[in-house]
Amino acid sequence: MRSLLSFLPLLIPSALVSATEYHEQLNLRPLPLSALLASFNFRANTSIADFEAQNFRLFPRSLGQILQYAGTRELHLRFTLGRWDAESWGTRPWDGTKEGGTGVELWAWLDAETDEEADEKWLTLTNALSGLFCASLNFIDGTRTIRPVVSFQPEGDHPNTTLANTRLLHGVLPHEVVCTENLTPFLKMLPCKGKAGIASLLDGHKLFDASFQSMAIDVRPICPSEGECVLQLEQTVDMVLDVDRSKRPHDNPIPRPPPGHDLICDTTKPYHQPDDACYPIDHLRGQDWTLSQIFGRTMKGTCPLTDDEVPPVCVHLPPTRDLFASQGAHEIRYPNNDSLRCYHIEQDKEFTLVLTKSEFPSEGGEAAPLGIVKPETPVLYADRSFTGHGQEHGGVQAILTNPGDDSVEFVYMESLPWFMRIYLHTLSARISASSPNTNSSADLIKEIYYRPALDRARGTQLELLLSIPPRCTVFLTYDFERSILRYTEYPPDANRGFDVAAAVITTLEPKAMNIRTTSLLLYLPTPDFSMPYNVIIFTSTTVALAFGGIYNIIVRRMVGANEVPRTAMKDKVAAFIQKLKGKKTAVAAAAAGGKASIEPVSGTAEAK
Amino acid sequence: MPRLLSTALSLRRDPRLLRIPPYVSAFCIAIGVVWLLLLPLDDYSRRTYVSENALLPGQVHTYFGGSEQHIFRAFRHEVDLLADKNNYEVNDKLESILTGFGVKVGRQNYTYHSAGQIYTGENVYGILQAPRGDATEAIVLVAAWKSIDEQLNRNGIALVLTLARYFKRWSLWSKDIILLLPPDSTTGTQAWVDAYHDAHDFKHIAPLPLKSGALQGAIAIDYPHEQRYHELHIIYDGTNGQLPNLDLINSIVNIAGGQMGIETTVQQMTGHTDSYQDRLQTMLRGMLYQGLGYPTGPHSSFIPYHVDAITLQPTGEGWHDEMAMGRVVEGSFRSLNNLLEHLHQSFFFYLLMQKNRFVSIGTYLPSAMLLAANFTIMAIFLWVKSGQPTAKDVGTGKQQSDGLERKGDAAPSSWSPLTVERNLLSPLTFVAICHSISAIPLFLFNHLGINTLPLAFLIFSVTSTVLPAIFSFAAASLQKPTPQYFQLTKSFSLLILGVSLATLSTLNFSLAFLVGLLASPLTFIRPTDSAATRWFFAALLILTSPPIVILSTAWTSGVTLTEVLKAASLGWNVWGMYTPIIIWCMWWPAWLIGMTNTLSPISNI
Repeated sequence: MRSLLSFLPLLIPSALVSATEYHEQLNLRPLPLSALLASFNFRANTSIADFEAQNFRLFPRSLGQILQYAGTRELHLRFTLGRWDAESWGTRPWDGTKEGGTGVELWAWLDAETDEEADEKWLTLTNALSGLFCASLNFIDGTRTIRPVVSFQPEGDHPNTTLANTRLLHGVLPHEVVCTENLTPFLKMLPCKGKAGIASLLDGHKLFDASFQSMAIDVRPICPSEGECVLQLEQTVDMVLDVDRSKRPHDNPIPRPPPGHDLICDTTKPYHQPDDACYPIDHLRGQDWTLSQIFGRTMKGTCPLTDDEVPPVCVHLPPTRDLFASQGAHEIRYPNNDSLRCYHIEQDKEFTLVLTKSEFPSEGGEAAPLGIVKPETPVLYADRSFTGHGQEHGGVQAILTNPGDDSVEFVYMESLPWFMRIYLHTLSARISASSPNTNSSADLIKEIYYRPALDRARGTQLELLLSIPPRCTVFLTYDFERSILRYTEYPPDANRGFDVAAAVITTLEPKAMNIRTTSLLLYLPTPDFSMPYNVIIFTSTTVALAFGGIYNIIVRRMVGANEVPRTAMKDKVAAFIQKLKGKKTAVAAAAAGGKASIEPVSGTAEAK
Repeated sequence: MPRLLSTALSLRRDPRLLRIPPYVSAFCIAIGVVWLLLLPLDDYSRRTYVSENALLPGQVHTYFGGSEQHIFRAFRHEVDLLADKNNYEVNDKLESILTGFGVKVGRQNYTYHSAGQIYTGENVYGILQAPRGDATEAIVLVAAWKSIDEQLNRNGIALVLTLARYFKRWSLWSKDIILLLPPDSTTGTQAWVDAYHDAHDFKHIAPLPLKSGALQGAIAIDYPHEQRYHELHIIYDGTNGQLPNLDLINSIVNIAGGQMGIETTVQQMTGHTDSYQDRLQTMLRGMLYQGLGYPTGPHSSFIPYHVDAITLQPTGEGWHDEMAMGRVVEGSFRSLNNLLEHLHQSFFFYLLMQKNRFVSIGTYLPSAMLLAANFTIMAIFLWVKSGQPTAKDVGTGKQQSDGLERKGDAAPSSWSPLTVERNLLSPLTFVAICHSISAIPLFLFNHLGINTLPLAFLIFSVTSTVLPAIFSFAAASLQKPTPQYFQLTKSFSLLILGVSLATLSTLNFSLAFLVGLLASPLTFIRPTDSAATRWFFAALLILTSPPIVILSTAWTSGVTLTEVLKAASLGWNVWGMYTPIIIWCMWWPAWLIGMTNTLSPISNI
């Protein structure tokens, strides 16, 4: 089975790439256990000449002007929420190339002769995009920006001369919560604005209730072998819906326990009794849904601007499953890929799809469950977590598993905040003992690109070129130190911890794809301004004061004034008075003398 | 003013002043104990309140119920079918049930060695991933296969499975929910929590194949109770007397009491009448558990890692059913799910008088501090006294100073205090020897096998009683002990005791208080000529010696000595309990020195 990316070019003959063109497509793919992947793809081309003349038609003017102003050659923006469950859902949509780490991720190639100029343009770009997408992109400052060396390659066709004068900058905001205010500007950029076509299915409630969702915007120049260069804007939304959750009605979304007779029970259990004991087997039931149920609205025809050649809706299902489309839709099947069926839709008619219950429940066992196309095993599994405990030191462990029969070569990139000071000498990669071929681990890491952090100025950038032998699990670990921030640098919710951005894995062999790990929550030593802390401080202070006093009394020998030998004291007092008299006027001396008669006494007493 | 000062300073020389410290010490002890007894009064304790606004306990509707009960019953039947199976077969079934819901399941093997016994098992746990979350935070739901009382946790396991299926349907979880099903309530959770924080022994405990984010809280269900129950018993003591954040307990009390109408209770105080006696009893029970430092349930292992955790145990006969218990857990998880930050607002140091009354550290700490101060005051007093001449020395000293005065007309005899040179070597050596041999009982009781432990303890008890006599004889034969020698040994020993207890009282108040109280006779013993007094002191000290206290505690609580020693060894080897260090390396040496001093014949040079 092919991944989504590989069949799309199949449908669009390259000769059709015209100067101005738009098409959109929705791919539905049922996944194990009530999950359903919906991939929306919108692609608009505009010729470079039109773009430079500010002649915008399909390309949104708001974005176009920002790109021109900030000298952006190629732009990639990602809004992601949730995590892709690779173990059950298999390969990522678009091979992971259209998703980011949790939060917001942005990388772009900017026209700049020097790094300073690039920083300036980057600042312009992030601030402008921040306003356009209602996201805190303006918080991508120097400490969150890195310049990847090997992880990212331009996707578009750039002449070598321009590429030499561009800089790649990458920034990520792991704590940014993606929500409807980011979806609205996203939809606004579409030619049909979410009023018609597949975009009419995008409902904020359903999108942000999904188990995983990723919105991507890519702008890249494409130069076909003949014809003029075009600037391509590709917008993608990938979401994994939970069918059971999505099917709940809008006005009653609470998952109350269903009435007892609606439960799906295993009647073979000896203790089974209706309305008493019921061993649930609803996870073996398989999916059944209609398009309007899962998206909460119906699809309102097609966008009039779209290319008629490209079918707007495609579903990946085993050929045996029944799927019914509404009237007027035309189903296409492909001989070279029997698990794919696509639908052409009339422009003004509402469209819906109905997937009926699978007729063979739970017979196929694990391998072919529930009448869905079995997800493809990914090239690499990646999982990253913190190790250790305490407030001073910690470690990061990435577990990378190669399930396939070919060795996998990839770049592992970390963009770490400056307050997480990593010890590069502790970086190690070892093959797990349970793997079949445990040869020496020394040659796992082939190259290291490392740019150390500067306090409060920039974060750590770490890129590792690794290669994992077939069917091996590799543990990549390194240690770090948690730094103590200045107290004004703590956010209001200091005890929440600090988010560490996802690691980006770019595979090179056997095929190019991207994987992002989950982000991490880093606890730093946080001052506790609460009451118990104050109690401890006060107690310690009291103890310290008491200790000082007691120690003083024990060690020092003090005597009272009347215990000092009189003669010596008298002499000294007399001498002191004489001294004062010699220096000051008679009046002042008399006044001072009154006081001095006491002070020198105690002074001498102390000295003894 | 100068007159007052000089009067005060001259009073310093007054020999009467030196008689005061023993009375101050006694006064400190009395005040310390009375202080503790005052705490249950309304004027000194406070009502609890929820400090963390994000928790909003009891503010959500809970929907667990209805047909979920059918599923609960089915899972309980499944648990019954597994009752006689071994750990691995049980885990196979639990894993298949959990994977059915779409929960990621991991397993972990562990082996502990303690007192010559092997504790081995396999934990099974599932991670219910937050639907829209990232693996940054997690809350834990624990149900051990064997309850705290070693019964089959039949309802607890079934309830966790049912709740897992129910929780899976909600999309509002912002944190992962980890379902931990260890084979027992003692070692399993410890192995799991250690491995989660990579603090485990790599040889005997397997690492975790699956992990989520930082743990924010944990709730354990201990529910072997078969009938309908009346109240929820909240168990909150952690290892080494560490406590969970008070907000967690308050939230549960609030949810169970305010929303479900279920009574809650702490420290097994069923039928708490809110009287002074009941409050005092609750507090003293809490202090006893805290002082022992022994884990009280599966939640205890979480607390050392700053994960707030409690165990819920339905008790008594009433009309609440499993679904009500499930709703309490649901409500608590909804509250924990609301947390934006790690629980940090409320108290970590408190004594509970009742489910909704507590005293905080600022109020109760002085009582333990006063007990510790009594030793320090006495130590300082003895140090000062050891530097002063005895009656005989004063006579010779006076002659000397008279001579001096006649010679130089300088030092008047009226103010010059005579100091005697302190002979430090032998007292310091003796104190050092006593403290270093304290490693022997610590090592023995934590490394011997279960069969030899009781015998070893009895031999040790006898040795520990005889040892002071040997020491005093040896000291007497080596060198004629002077009163100064006794003063200095006692001073050093009490100084160490006072300082360690003051430090300990901030970490484990109850342990410091109990040890301080039991060691308080040490302040007042002294070598004496009178045989009657000496035997009285000796008897008092033997009664309050660590081995006798342990034996009598075991006897009064109806636990065999073997069990006590086994539990202590387990506490040391599995949970890293530091109570043995306090008893053997702090209290016992102090006792040894005190006893030796009592038995030593006083020399009248």
